[in-house]
Amino acid sequence: MKNPGKKLQDELRSMFESISTEGDGENRMTVKCRKEAVITMLSFLKKTGFDHLALISCVDRLNDNVLELVYILSSYGGDVAMQKLNILLKTTIPRENPQFYTATEIFGNASPYERELHELYGILFRGHPRLTPLFLEREYDIPPFRKDFDTRKYVKDVFDQIPFVDDKKGRT
Amino acid sequence: MRELELYFGPQHLGMVGNFSITLQVEGDRIVKATANPGFLHRGFEKLMEQRTWIQNFPLVCRINVVEPDHMELMYAMAVEKLAGIEVPERAQFIRSIYLELARVGSHLFGLWAYANMLGFDTVANWAMYHRDLILDLFEELTGGRVYHIYLWPGGVRRDFPEGFEERIRSTLHTIGSCVPDYDDTFFHNRLFYERAHGVGKLSREDACRMGAVGQVLRATGMKKDIRKTEPYAAYDQVDWEIPVRTDGDAYSRIWVVRDEMIESVHMIFKLLDKLPKGEAYQRIPNPFKWKIPESEVYVRCESSRGELGLYLVSDGGDKPCRAHFRTPSYSHGLTILEKALENESIADVGNIMISLYITAPEIDR
Repeated sequence: MKNPGKKLQDELRSMFESISTEGDGENRMTVKCRKEAVITMLSFLKKTGFDHLALISCVDRLNDNVLELVYILSSYGGDVAMQKLNILLKTTIPRENPQFYTATEIFGNASPYERELHELYGILFRGHPRLTPLFLEREYDIPPFRKDFDTRKYVKDVFDQIPFVDDKKGRT
Repeated sequence: MRELELYFGPQHLGMVGNFSITLQVEGDRIVKATANPGFLHRGFEKLMEQRTWIQNFPLVCRINVVEPDHMELMYAMAVEKLAGIEVPERAQFIRSIYLELARVGSHLFGLWAYANMLGFDTVANWAMYHRDLILDLFEELTGGRVYHIYLWPGGVRRDFPEGFEERIRSTLHTIGSCVPDYDDTFFHNRLFYERAHGVGKLSREDACRMGAVGQVLRATGMKKDIRKTEPYAAYDQVDWEIPVRTDGDAYSRIWVVRDEMIESVHMIFKLLDKLPKGEAYQRIPNPFKWKIPESEVYVRCESSRGELGLYLVSDGGDKPCRAHFRTPSYSHGLTILEKALENESIADVGNIMISLYITAPEIDR
């Protein structure tokens, strides 16, 4: 089959309102939808055969003042044409006080990805069983992977304060 | 019985890499395991947003210490797709040969870790020695032993030196001729069977549900390999098989690793026989002024640990807007490990962890 995503594209358009889909002809299909529809869409895609969650990522679109969430799905159990296809399911949420719904009940491996995004982008995933820190050691005012977090300034402010080993001022 | 909390790592003899597991134990049974990553978090993905397209190569290879080459491939492939660069045929073959060498080297390293953990020191030393022979090849080709920075958008950095193909063949013959020794001392050894059989068992349903990839999935009987489903480089030019096992335990996983190494070696011979003549790289624009139009891409490949992916976004500038690596150890180390350790004994923690092929730098990035 030349375009494995065509059938799925039609099916998705008939089932969900206000979504936009586009295929790039190279086994990638981008689906954009409203944030309320994401969880339904994920469980629908899983039933259709896209049973493997490859990645949950986030892009900080500072100019549009939104965070773009990206779920990348592929099929491990489907037929050959379907296995080649990767779906990028996208939605946007506001940058201020970002909240979203958890996908941990649909995909077993979603949990660490959501913990990572919670920590690095400050997104609160409602219903997540364990939204504890994953990587970072310190507390940050702005979540560090956001575009307005200035790494250089942070490094200068925090680590320039640490005295050298032979610097004994203040002790004697 | 009283429950105790035990810390396995980051400073523990049985721990490979900067990683830690908190174990709730009752006697010597594990009730609950919690993985604690973050000891090696270097923020590479954030750092990549502040480096130009070409400056990121020395960063990406450091994401996975054991096999940096697939990381380079992912980044090179993503940049090629974004910028629309074609790769010459010879470069595709050289890439495949180079990546298969990397796979064998990485698997030998994994075998070293596993054999060492079980107390098979002789086998471990053999594996380390044979990996060094492969690193010698890399050193001749690229100048570096561990980090090579050899793959480039548009091909590879330089062509094979004179007589290099013959030296690959002879090194692989040296390693391959020791397979019977490995089999006698390790793979057919009853001790290995007793220690690994039925340990850390995963059913196929659980493995699929929790996002297992690579040999963890192939050890449960799933015949799945990105090199077959979505061929890149020159993997569609030669015939090869995907080795599988059906038990889903540590024993099967290590056997899949062994079979994969042998399959890779045969594949390298086939690729060398077919290696075409021609250019090894395509010219790319001036890296200092290189801007890539606004677009995004998700690329994936089969690293020695499983599906490795990169989601790369460009906003039209001279630097990436966002890079996010999908690494196989992420699901293996944070989701599957916690499940696989439940109800196992403390003595098997290292066994299960190393057979799942977890590398901490890949999780933390």
